[in-house]
Amino acid sequence: MAADSGVVPTGRAGRVPGEGSMWFFVLGDFWIFSCYFACYVHDRAQSPESYLAGQQLLSQGTGVLNTIILLTSSLFVALGVQAARASDIDVARRFVTLGGACGILFMLIKAWEWSTKIIAGFPAGTEDFFLYYFMFTGLHVLHVCLGLLILVLVWRELRKDRPRPMFVETGGTYWHMVDALWIAIFALLYLVR
Amino acid sequence: MARYLRNPLTAVWALLTLITFLAFWVGAGGEGQQVDLAVTALVLAIAILKSRLVFRHFMEVRHAPAWLRWSCDGWLVSFGVMVLALYAL
Repeated sequence: MAADSGVVPTGRAGRVPGEGSMWFFVLGDFWIFSCYFACYVHDRAQSPESYLAGQQLLSQGTGVLNTIILLTSSLFVALGVQAARASDIDVARRFVTLGGACGILFMLIKAWEWSTKIIAGFPAGTEDFFLYYFMFTGLHVLHVCLGLLILVLVWRELRKDRPRPMFVETGGTYWHMVDALWIAIFALLYLVR
Repeated sequence: MARYLRNPLTAVWALLTLITFLAFWVGAGGEGQQVDLAVTALVLAIAILKSRLVFRHFMEVRHAPAWLRWSCDGWLVSFGVMVLALYAL
């Protein structure tokens, strides 16, 4: 085991981290989200006051908490990839489990946030903002769900005798995309004025 | 596991967490918020910086071939320009 060497291997220079097909999907997904973001910012610019009124009903603190939870999950998964490369499989599996647990925590907090918004209702004039809020956060949670499924597959791979580090990297690439998308959604829904 | 936490990636995570609080401090406000281009631009710049750190360090794009590095940076630039252009129009 490379665990005793004290050196954690990182990716090799000049190679694509993970499967190229996953990168095709990731970059495509970013561009699709860009189109949604363009619609949102365009509509928001038509009546900024009503969007600001809706935005003020969100809890920015909850958004920050969820951002930090996803960043932490990304760290765990990235460390899991390094451990898998070092053939430190037990540690890799533990990191992937921790990353998935953070993903579940993110979804629980999101569900609580949605329920408080639905119970409180939406004041007149804020409907358009909340339409986008539920669309973006809903689409994102679907990505989190798929990400958790992929992490389960990664976890199963790490139970094999000779897990493929490339498989773990590819799963990590998807999981970090979920994190990067949330960073953009958090800024646009919770923070811009 | 502790050995892995003593890792440059943990420092990147700490930086990401720190600038998340910075964005919160800049962008969050109570009642009566006004349209504010400066706050919007700053919040957007922080989000782009955060995404770039995730790309380069967590997704290991900094070691990747040039086409992938440019694809990621190209998306970040286009995202920033698009949002600011539509916001200001």
